[in-house]
Amino acid sequence: MRALVCLVALLSATFAPAAAGAQDKGAQIEALRKELETLKKAMGTLAERLKTLEAQPATAAAPASPATDAPGTGQTFVGNVAQARPGGDPPSLMDLARPREPFALYERRGAGQLLFDMGVVGDFVFNLTQRNVDKANGGTFAGRENRFFPREIELSFFGQVDPYARAEVRIEAAEEFEDGARDLHLGLAEAHLTLLTLPFNTQAKIGLMRTRFGLLNPLHLHDGPQVDRPNVLTRFFGEEGLVEAGTEVTWAAPLPFFLELLGGIFNGDNDVLFGFGKVSEPLLTGRLRTFFDFEDWGAIQLGASVASGTNTDRHRSTVVGVDAKYKYRPDGWSHPLFTVAGEWLHVHQHVTTEGADDDGDGIPEHAPENRTRNKNGWYTYAEVQPWKRWLFGFRYDWTEFPDRRGHEWAVQPYLAFMPTEFLRFRLAYKHTERNKRDGFGDNGGSARIVDELLLQATFILGAHPAHPF
Amino acid sequence: MSALARVIVFALVAGGLAGGGGGLAAAADKVRVVTTLTDLRALTEAVGGDLVEVDSLARGNQNPHDLEVRPSLMVKVRRADLLVINGLEGDAWVEAVVRGASNPRVLPGAPGRIDASEGVMVLEVPKTRVDRSMGDVHPLGNPHYSLDPGMAPLITTNILNGLVRAAPQHRAAFERNRRAFLSLLEPALARWTAVLAPVRGARVVVEHGIFTYLLARFGVVQAATIEERPGIPATPTHVAKLIQQIKEERIKAILTVPWGDRKLAARIGDEAGARVVALAPAVGGLKGADTYLSTVDYNVTALATALK
Repeated sequence: MRALVCLVALLSATFAPAAAGAQDKGAQIEALRKELETLKKAMGTLAERLKTLEAQPATAAAPASPATDAPGTGQTFVGNVAQARPGGDPPSLMDLARPREPFALYERRGAGQLLFDMGVVGDFVFNLTQRNVDKANGGTFAGRENRFFPREIELSFFGQVDPYARAEVRIEAAEEFEDGARDLHLGLAEAHLTLLTLPFNTQAKIGLMRTRFGLLNPLHLHDGPQVDRPNVLTRFFGEEGLVEAGTEVTWAAPLPFFLELLGGIFNGDNDVLFGFGKVSEPLLTGRLRTFFDFEDWGAIQLGASVASGTNTDRHRSTVVGVDAKYKYRPDGWSHPLFTVAGEWLHVHQHVTTEGADDDGDGIPEHAPENRTRNKNGWYTYAEVQPWKRWLFGFRYDWTEFPDRRGHEWAVQPYLAFMPTEFLRFRLAYKHTERNKRDGFGDNGGSARIVDELLLQATFILGAHPAHPF
Repeated sequence: MSALARVIVFALVAGGLAGGGGGLAAAADKVRVVTTLTDLRALTEAVGGDLVEVDSLARGNQNPHDLEVRPSLMVKVRRADLLVINGLEGDAWVEAVVRGASNPRVLPGAPGRIDASEGVMVLEVPKTRVDRSMGDVHPLGNPHYSLDPGMAPLITTNILNGLVRAAPQHRAAFERNRRAFLSLLEPALARWTAVLAPVRGARVVVEHGIFTYLLARFGVVQAATIEERPGIPATPTHVAKLIQQIKEERIKAILTVPWGDRKLAARIGDEAGARVVALAPAVGGLKGADTYLSTVDYNVTALATALK
């Protein structure tokens, strides 16, 4: 009996925890099952969210408290003039004297990217005209009549030099054709530095540049509105235009509308009107430009320019000009429907005439005289662009010759087709009449009346061009 | 001094007082912000509230890629304390405006410059070498993210950071404004998601990839574009293929923008049996799309109606 009691006690001692353990395990299994179900649900939710996220652009979570650092740069800006005066007060003299904090380096480009931009422009022109004009070298592109030629192949580099300055270098190659020999001319078209952070709303441009005289002189030929420059600009400044080495300073007036004043000092290398080429007697330029935006009614730009320098005979030449340009762009259009522009120039020159030879013996009977010459010229053009890819235009120009008597006028209807912003074709007919054939009679030819068919093809390789007004 | 000279001097002195002196009172209170796009203007106004004065260079119905660089834009930027740009080279024209503005505060890299695209998960980033044979491609990816309401929290963060840099004393107010805006945006986003849930997976044709982020946000698929390649107008062959694709895939809607070729879109829609729907490409792009929220609301409603 005692043994039985002991056995029962032993069994009880053995199986009682086991029974209790079985109960615990059951509860644990139940808990695990529940946990598994919860996890399954969570997995399902996550899978659903993943699907949603894969179908959507992800959004970065907004931080609860924004940092004052520059986004993405980790750089804190302190001591900057603009920061110290959030309202944008003009900087004080002390502010200007204090060295400014360096800017964060710009550009989020990846490894291997250049720190500047580059572009290539190719501009090809075809000219077809009469034989007598060809013989006289009297066409728009003297010496290249009845030819297809690369007029400007331009390689340009541009970008920020550092936080304070920007630079631009343009190298040009062009064909020169003389006496049946084709030659390729390679030269520096422009190379300049622009200081961007000067005080009092000023900027300075230093180097070799197309001076900002008038509407079209600052533009390279391939950027111009027509195949060629208006005759008045070619006669007064030469085929290349007013390209000079020196400095231009611009000041933007603190007015509610745009008013910009520009002053320049240059060598004066232009061989048509100036040409002395020394800053001891510099070419001085100036320009005043304003602009009014009428929103739905278009916009107009008005300008006045002056350039005054010394010519090779050390006499003063002064040219003044006024210009205007109006564009109408219907609301929502990405190109203008209608553009009209014009420019008028007046030249005042002091010259020394050669002594007159009355009897034709080659010996002048009269002494050379100092005289003044006043010459005028102007052009106007209008363009209609009903479709983005097609443009129709018409130009009229009239000019006196700056170095001799006589004048010429020309009309030019033209058509442009632009498949993309990087490719453009132009077709133009130009009729020119001169009241004298003097100066247009090489090789015994005559070019008093000139009819020309001009074809231009222009391409751009590189950065997306901005669309200036 | 001649009469003309006196007039010019008077105008300059008066202008100087107006711009530099008279403006001081206003400037002391408000941060002057210029944005390239109207979406960014609306979001800057939301964060800045009464403490900012915001102007946009582009209008809502203008193509953001092709803005003409007018001197009047330079006047706006010249007076700005902050410039908010879209970035990703979508508004690269602004650099020409900034160069003409003579305002060192907003030059590239300056603290007055806010790039709203900082941190954006960019879509359509080219994975291979790109060139112009692909059209006017964006080498940094699709830059039209600002009308995706899911991006607004991030964009407003970038704007907030810039505003705080310019006016740290108003930090609390800017943060409060932003939170208030997001408290309106969040339920609206839930509502828009619900409205477009029935048409999730639907396919549409677009004129240009300007709604890519918006469509992806709500699961609508951009099946094709009217332009053959970015910036390249459609050729007759492309139009014929597009009409065939719309018919085969039973695409219901063609989404257009104000500067697009509406006649071509209408012709494709007529021939293929798809509805042509004008969406607002930006705040102010169409009537009824005057604020950020109303613009998204307009687009979502138009999309849901077209895809029913």
